[in-house]
Amino acid sequence: MTIDAANPIERQKKQPIRRDAALEVTRLMPRPLLTILTVLLCAVVLVPIAYIFLASLNSDIGVASGEFWPSSFSLESYSKIWDSVGLAKAIGNSLIVAGATAVVSALMAIGTAYVLVRFSFWGRLTVLRGLLGLQSIPGTLMLLPVFVLFSSAGTYLGVTVIGTLWGLFIAYLTFALPFSTWVMVTYLRGLPRELEEAARIDGASNVGILFRIIIPLSWPGIIVSGIFAFLLGWNDVLFASVFTRPDTHTAAVALQVFASAAEGGAVPVYSQMMAASLVCAAPVVVLYFMFQKYLVGGLTAGSVK
Amino acid sequence: MASSVTEPRPADSSPAAGTAGGPGETTPSGKRRKGISEKNRPLWLLIPGGLLMTIVILVPLAMGIWMSLIDLDQYTLRQWVSSEFIGIKNYIEAAVSSDLLRSIWLSVSFAVISTVVTVPLGVAAAVVTQNAYRGRAVVRSIFLIPYVLPSFVVASVWRTMLQPDGIVNVTLTNLGMGGGLWLNGPNSYWTLVWVEIWAAWPFIYLLALSGLQAVDHEVHEASALDGALWWNKLRYVIFPYLKGPVSLAFLLATLNHINNFTLPYVLFGAPAPADVNVLPILVYVTSFQSFRFGLSAAMAVVSLILIAIPLFIYLRAVKLDVHDGGTK
Repeated sequence: MTIDAANPIERQKKQPIRRDAALEVTRLMPRPLLTILTVLLCAVVLVPIAYIFLASLNSDIGVASGEFWPSSFSLESYSKIWDSVGLAKAIGNSLIVAGATAVVSALMAIGTAYVLVRFSFWGRLTVLRGLLGLQSIPGTLMLLPVFVLFSSAGTYLGVTVIGTLWGLFIAYLTFALPFSTWVMVTYLRGLPRELEEAARIDGASNVGILFRIIIPLSWPGIIVSGIFAFLLGWNDVLFASVFTRPDTHTAAVALQVFASAAEGGAVPVYSQMMAASLVCAAPVVVLYFMFQKYLVGGLTAGSVK
Repeated sequence: MASSVTEPRPADSSPAAGTAGGPGETTPSGKRRKGISEKNRPLWLLIPGGLLMTIVILVPLAMGIWMSLIDLDQYTLRQWVSSEFIGIKNYIEAAVSSDLLRSIWLSVSFAVISTVVTVPLGVAAAVVTQNAYRGRAVVRSIFLIPYVLPSFVVASVWRTMLQPDGIVNVTLTNLGMGGGLWLNGPNSYWTLVWVEIWAAWPFIYLLALSGLQAVDHEVHEASALDGALWWNKLRYVIFPYLKGPVSLAFLLATLNHINNFTLPYVLFGAPAPADVNVLPILVYVTSFQSFRFGLSAAMAVVSLILIAIPLFIYLRAVKLDVHDGGTK
């Protein structure tokens, strides 16, 4: 049930013939109750969202004094954020690291997932269980040994890893690889076997089948597993807060700088923080709604976040 | 990028894979599962992914367990190979003279409360978007927003709103209820629960929605013909369909809540106030602010054991294989 990833075929439910009558039949609640619940849930979501927009257009002082509706609108915060914490550089770093994680883990996932879905071998179910289980492992449990290994790389190999984007990229693979592989597994399961069998009869090798049939057919799965790996990297705070220096800060860490600026007794910069929040959220929101059709299925395939 | 990663694999190993299964065309034993081949297996395809996962996952995991058994702090960090082996002393110290037990209690209660509240919310949201109506697509997109927003953004926004002079307190004062301290003191626990709920209910909603879509139109028609009242229909006809997906959602959501580092970290900072010193924060502070790496590794291993129980149930319940039975 929950395991069928982005499978577009699944989503095309048969359409009832007489719409109105069918609607009455499938309705699960009286209309007033339905309306009230929908409005309530939307309000709970939309009020904070509206607040972010309004606060980002407000002045820092206005937000700090608890205004909902700004006394004066300005786009000033959106121009200030680029200088105050180096947000542009941070977003660039996030794009590089999360993008590299996405590409590498999505590509690595294809071959592994193909073998896992189509061939049996000793330990196969253990590997599948492991892939799923790894997604629920505490991030701190992975962070500690990776940190120690990275810092001793300086001692034993003379290489600086901590503070570089490379280090962060390797750290993200610990979560992105099993996740992408699992998403690919759920996608490949949904592919019909007939094409492969036909190709096999025609004499295609396993590699031929992988490259000529599996990969061309599974690009939506590849994109979804890549996007999820990207989101893991983009949304991470735990690893980035330990493995980055100011010049390698990611967007998530840069946003925290606004908060600590307020704590240091300086003038709180809440409006800038809200503007920066929106800027950091924008790529993610755009990605989701662009690929919504595929992603929603994939979301339920495993434990994102 | 793409070709440089995938190209070398077929080049050096495909002949081997091609010949391996050539002569072995005899029918394998009768209990071969349909569609899963046991002959001519290109197992070498597992090597790149398997090797990389071993390096970046299995080695650190083993290392993490080893760390919990040695005396490791900021002075011995760079020469951890020669650190002293102290057995379970870290575990004893964690249990006796640290906040570990309290953090476990905080984490578990926080996770369970959050899950118990989000399940009815998510199911309700799935039920109200079951019927097509004009604007349903918009409502569904709105329901997804808290889930789509990165956790660090959600936490930053709530942190701003819950400041002592922030919008929440101003509104509460205007309503005559008086404000409160939300980011410190005993209220902070409920702040954490509230923000987690706000961010997490769409996850349940999505899983419940997938369960609702499995209900056939005939089922609706049958209960309409029987004249079932709406709550009876929900209770006896629809909810049984949701039992499977929602139980899985329950387990997964609880695991996610226990492991959530970003939300408490961004909301309250580290070290966190005592009332929200949940496990991930405790481990983080013990290692990166107190520099007791061995001790915090022991705590991290304990948190792994803690989540092992729901994780085990989850892994048993999930359909791992297309042909391992289980319903769609």
